[in-house]
Amino acid sequence: MAKEKILRGIAASKGIAQGKVFIYETKNVQVFQTPILSIYLNDEIERFEKAVTQTKKELIEIRGRINQEIGEDFGQFLDAQIMMLTDKELIETVKKKIVEEKKNAEHIYHQVITDYAQKLSESKNQYFKERVVDIWDVGVRVLRNLLGLVHSSVIDVGPGSIIVAHDIPPSEATLINPRNVLGIATEIGGRTSHTAITARALEIPAVLAIEGLLNKIEHGEEVIIDGDRGILIKHPSPSRTHFYEIAKKKVVELEKALSPYCELPPETRDGRHIDISANIEFFAEASHAKKYGAIGIGLFRTEFLYLTRRGNPTEEEQFRVYNGLAKSMKPHPVIIRTYDLGGDKIFSGYHEPNPFLGWRAIRVCLEEIDFFKVQLRAILRASVHKNVKIMFPMVATYEEIKRINLIFEEVRKELKSKKIEFDDGIQVGIMIETPSAALLSPYLASEVDFFSIGSNDLTQYTLAVDRGNEKVSQLFDHFHPAVIRLIKNIVDAGHNGHIWVGLCGELASDPLAIPLLVGLGIDELSMSPYSIPKAKLVLRSITIPTCEEISKEALGFRTALEVKRFLRRAVHKNFPGIEEVIK
Amino acid sequence: MINEVITILNENGLHALPASRFVKLAEKFDSDVKLVKDGVVVSGKSIMGILTIACEKGSKVTLICDGKDEKDAFKALRKILEGQD
Repeated sequence: MAKEKILRGIAASKGIAQGKVFIYETKNVQVFQTPILSIYLNDEIERFEKAVTQTKKELIEIRGRINQEIGEDFGQFLDAQIMMLTDKELIETVKKKIVEEKKNAEHIYHQVITDYAQKLSESKNQYFKERVVDIWDVGVRVLRNLLGLVHSSVIDVGPGSIIVAHDIPPSEATLINPRNVLGIATEIGGRTSHTAITARALEIPAVLAIEGLLNKIEHGEEVIIDGDRGILIKHPSPSRTHFYEIAKKKVVELEKALSPYCELPPETRDGRHIDISANIEFFAEASHAKKYGAIGIGLFRTEFLYLTRRGNPTEEEQFRVYNGLAKSMKPHPVIIRTYDLGGDKIFSGYHEPNPFLGWRAIRVCLEEIDFFKVQLRAILRASVHKNVKIMFPMVATYEEIKRINLIFEEVRKELKSKKIEFDDGIQVGIMIETPSAALLSPYLASEVDFFSIGSNDLTQYTLAVDRGNEKVSQLFDHFHPAVIRLIKNIVDAGHNGHIWVGLCGELASDPLAIPLLVGLGIDELSMSPYSIPKAKLVLRSITIPTCEEISKEALGFRTALEVKRFLRRAVHKNFPGIEEVIK
Repeated sequence: MINEVITILNENGLHALPASRFVKLAEKFDSDVKLVKDGVVVSGKSIMGILTIACEKGSKVTLICDGKDEKDAFKALRKILEGQD
């Protein structure tokens, strides 16, 4: 039996999983050219027809799954893809050319597809140009079937799988099916990359940034993923397997011990209520939020609407999603965050050297106002349930919030003139995630109804660390004194301006951070649903005066390490009950 | 044979979804269906062909139907091009 091997990476989503490796490769397929003898030409044509039939079967299956899990609207592009695949003219051309040129099906098909793609890419119209993506989506699928290669969509992953990839693009991450995918391992990424966030949202263990992973792992082999320690184990020994079976049992026990907290109110031992709400990305997660006892949705990310389809979602499509969510969470609040992606996600052909500092989120919306208004209208219409709040990301200047409010007012007027119902008292908030917004928060507070601190981006921008870059990701620490001081500024500015202040980054669910944040006066903590029972346990063990003392002292350190060391000691001394969950 | 220039009035042009509707409908008729734009002729029964001529809203295409049910085919297909389906 092969010797056990441990591969190290970053622990990105907790939990343990054992399963079969599914290699997800984004690399292009290599097409070779070979002559075919006349007597075999019919076989070659038959081989091509089989690949088309097989591909059609796959596309229909994916279509079915998207219908069930995401919604019919999002699978429409697949109908068009199926028609492209079965296009009679294309198929006849391929067959004819196989016979004429006496070459293999892969080569001919590739040639024909390239020809169509070439014609389309010459179109002056952006929409038609972008259909090249669909042609290649279909084309590569057929080529892979002809070549007998592994498939490249995470949606194809069968039950009991561990996805192994160089990276998983956001549009693909959205399609991960938690019923089939037990674990995720990638070569790049960090704790706060999109893959990590999706993995945590779906409660799938993940280890990211394992160097040279794809060269060390084979499709179909059995591995263990340890998302707590950040390791992947190849050829696990019997004793190792046994160890993990026990560890898994312990996790189940801890979950059982925490489960009563789902039902308990989120308040400190001395009776201060703190809203604990959920960060979610998909409508389906609303049920997790309720199950784990969230007070509401503190952050509904709307990016999946833009990533899972071709072209931008219409007002109707967006309205259906927002309305469904607001209705299902009623009377609890739902905070919907507007578009928070780079310009490249909606306007293909747009590229920039430094996307984190570039044209993204509110900056895109304030320039593409018609595009922005579609989302505003959809959110406003869903606000008839009286529990919707709207939140704008990445505000960095005072002018931006002034312009946002102006545009928002225009949309309200428009809806009123059309006699479309909405909640006129809808709360408007902004994410505070740039250092400039944090420092200007006293002025911003007078323009909005609430702040939500995006601690991940605030940390990234304050420390100038790209969290996805494994070379510097160890510098990313949300306990950094600079970050904590900014958080204090923001909370104080909010309270002085009589508005409430929440926090919706990773920090919100860190048991070590909760006493600190409560001491600073935070009003709401929003986190992944799974983290809620633990956060409630911490909250219900602490008292306000002690937290206030802790936070005062925590502000007096020079390094993140000193802050964390102090917090650990303080928790140990004052709230011994929560040490178990901090480990 | 019926042969007439039609202005595309479909809101987003003849993009993937209306184009697939067009092809599905065209296949129901025995007549030969062709679209001509800027001198390029494509089969009206091929979505790949239709997409490659990029019929934006406002552009002019010639719809050609030729066969025994050409009248019905022309009437029905014209509606899609004009966004009235």
